[in-house]
Amino acid sequence: MNLQEKLQILANSAKYDASCSSSGSLKRRTGKIGTTAFSGICHSFSSDGRCISLLKILLTNCCIFDCKYCLNRKSNNIKRAIFSPVEICTITMNFYKRNYIEGLFLSSGIIKSPDYTMNLMIETIDLLRHKYHFGGYIHAKAIPGTSDILIKKLGHLVDRLSANIELPTASSLKLLAPNKEFKKVDRIMNYVHMNKSKKFVPAGQSTQMIIGATQETDKDIMERSETLYKKYDLKRVFYSAYIPVNKDKLLPSIITPPLKRENRLYQADWLLRFYHFTVSDILDEHHPNFNILLDPKTDWALKHLSEFPKEINTCSYKDLLKIPGVGVTSAKRIYSSRKLFTITFKDLKNMGVVLKRAKYFITCNHKYFINPIFFNKQFIESNLVLEEKELNSHNRKQLSLFE
Amino acid sequence: MKQNDVTYIYQNTFSSLLALIKILIDHKIKPMNLKNTDYNPTLLDTIIELELKDEKSFLFWQIKTSKKIINIAYYVFLSNADNKELIIYYFLLNSLKYQEKIIHMRNLKCVDKALKISAYVSHENHKFKGFTRFKELQNHILYATISPENNILPILSKHFQNRLKNENWIIKDEKRQIISIYDKKNFYLVNASNFSLNELQDCQEEKQIAALWKNFYKTISIKERKNERCRNNFMPKKYWKNMLEMSDEIEKDNK
Ligand code: SF4
Repeated sequence: MNLQEKLQILANSAKYDASCSSSGSLKRRTGKIGTTAFSGICHSFSSDGRCISLLKILLTNCCIFDCKYCLNRKSNNIKRAIFSPVEICTITMNFYKRNYIEGLFLSSGIIKSPDYTMNLMIETIDLLRHKYHFGGYIHAKAIPGTSDILIKKLGHLVDRLSANIELPTASSLKLLAPNKEFKKVDRIMNYVHMNKSKKFVPAGQSTQMIIGATQETDKDIMERSETLYKKYDLKRVFYSAYIPVNKDKLLPSIITPPLKRENRLYQADWLLRFYHFTVSDILDEHHPNFNILLDPKTDWALKHLSEFPKEINTCSYKDLLKIPGVGVTSAKRIYSSRKLFTITFKDLKNMGVVLKRAKYFITCNHKYFINPIFFNKQFIESNLVLEEKELNSHNRKQLSLFE
Repeated sequence: MKQNDVTYIYQNTFSSLLALIKILIDHKIKPMNLKNTDYNPTLLDTIIELELKDEKSFLFWQIKTSKKIINIAYYVFLSNADNKELIIYYFLLNSLKYQEKIIHMRNLKCVDKALKISAYVSHENHKFKGFTRFKELQNHILYATISPENNILPILSKHFQNRLKNENWIIKDEKRQIISIYDKKNFYLVNASNFSLNELQDCQEEKQIAALWKNFYKTISIKERKNERCRNNFMPKKYWKNMLEMSDEIEKDNK
């Protein structure tokens, strides 16, 4: 099998992993070639609109496990391949030099045993770091069930080391990935978290779960994320809309992946990490799923209209963050500027506020943008639902699949 | 030196522009026009070229404003915005009065403009950190061509100076006909016409590596998620010309 064909097989098998970010690492390595950028760099975008930052490949797509949702599962009759360490290094170095990529993302199917597979990954990355002197970004996926000593070794070679929880709950994992154990994934995340330092996994860990293959509500999913962020200080949780690559009676029979839902989850995830929201703010037993018509922040604001309108010139920083159409950057700008002058609607536009949305929820110097009798739920909701529809058909940007 | 309706000329460099602005402010002149030496005057223009002491004035700005402010002005200088010199003039004039506070004063037009333009230049530079494509030549030199809207080559070169520090590389801005040459220590910006780069041949493996990359690009996309509009938003077509993996798409577009 030639290199071209191998790359095709092993990139194809790796492409369902959503994470491709290359950010968060500090300058530290003294390789002969390569640096890591704190804010991450996208080198290209594929025709599905996702950022390409890393050479995302599997070491092998051979696997002794049989996870129902996975293309590489044992029971699938597909072409199998395995890279040699030197092959991976050659491609990585040649791609990096030409600035095609920011670094390497290496995952693998399991051959023989988790430890055996991890050892191959370590051998490869060790070669890349110490023989080829590669100083760029490396994200490796740890295989659940690997011994701590190997996690330790690998963690010192890479920027990011992570394990996928795959599905939102332990019972779902049991159902669809019968060979995998929830506990083992948890153990890796805990180990990485406890040992994180400038030299060990400096860019932290992330994880991913598949959305829509199992019965969980958005609330179940977000609560899981919230726990993970708190417990292990994860950098990111990636949500990956379920794509039917296999047929199985345990899998839902859908044709198109639930992309809208995935988008809502990312938006809500953003609210948790940067906007001081908790899951209980935005979802509850009566509303366990996101409103598909409105983004979660707008939806929340409409349910809490009594807290609005907020006066831009005096409300707290935390309150600024709660206004639909105001992002973290613009909230900071408003906060620093209003000490110097009184902010008007026109200034807000210059500060990057999305006025189309924000104007319904604010006053500038105690003035509402139209007659205040229109400050009511029905009026605002009617306008914003259509606004959102327009926004979606004009540019279907997927929100922040990269940092 | 009292008229305001004249065009003042500076020597194409940022420090020269800073020197000119200092003189104008010292003499309380509010200029109509500040242009570099490429400027083609009309018959009605009055042109004044002053003797500029770059180094002394740079020190002045460093002391009187801040690194951050000078950096914003520098990024505006690299842009291709209309009237960028005047924006820099008013931005710096007001910096002397308001100091660091100026950065939060978007109600001043020159500040709003300067911040937006510098952010745009920085954004474009960030894009090119990713979108620049090198190929390897027979003599192991890495060679890339870019075609950015703003004159980002000086700041982009800094990035590659770190990243590819042990390689020899050349980046050519084909729009401005400037090249940046890096010799494993420093990079030098020179006029492209002084160099003939046409005879340079690709290294032996170049074809194979390029094919691997194009193959990877196609393979990594998930067809069930196809969303070209989203891709084109993040990576507008104006960047495609020099991106190896987009050559097939461009061909498709042309048909
Ligand atoms: S362990 Fe499961 S998810 Fe991973 S490659 Fe094997 S079958 Fe796929």
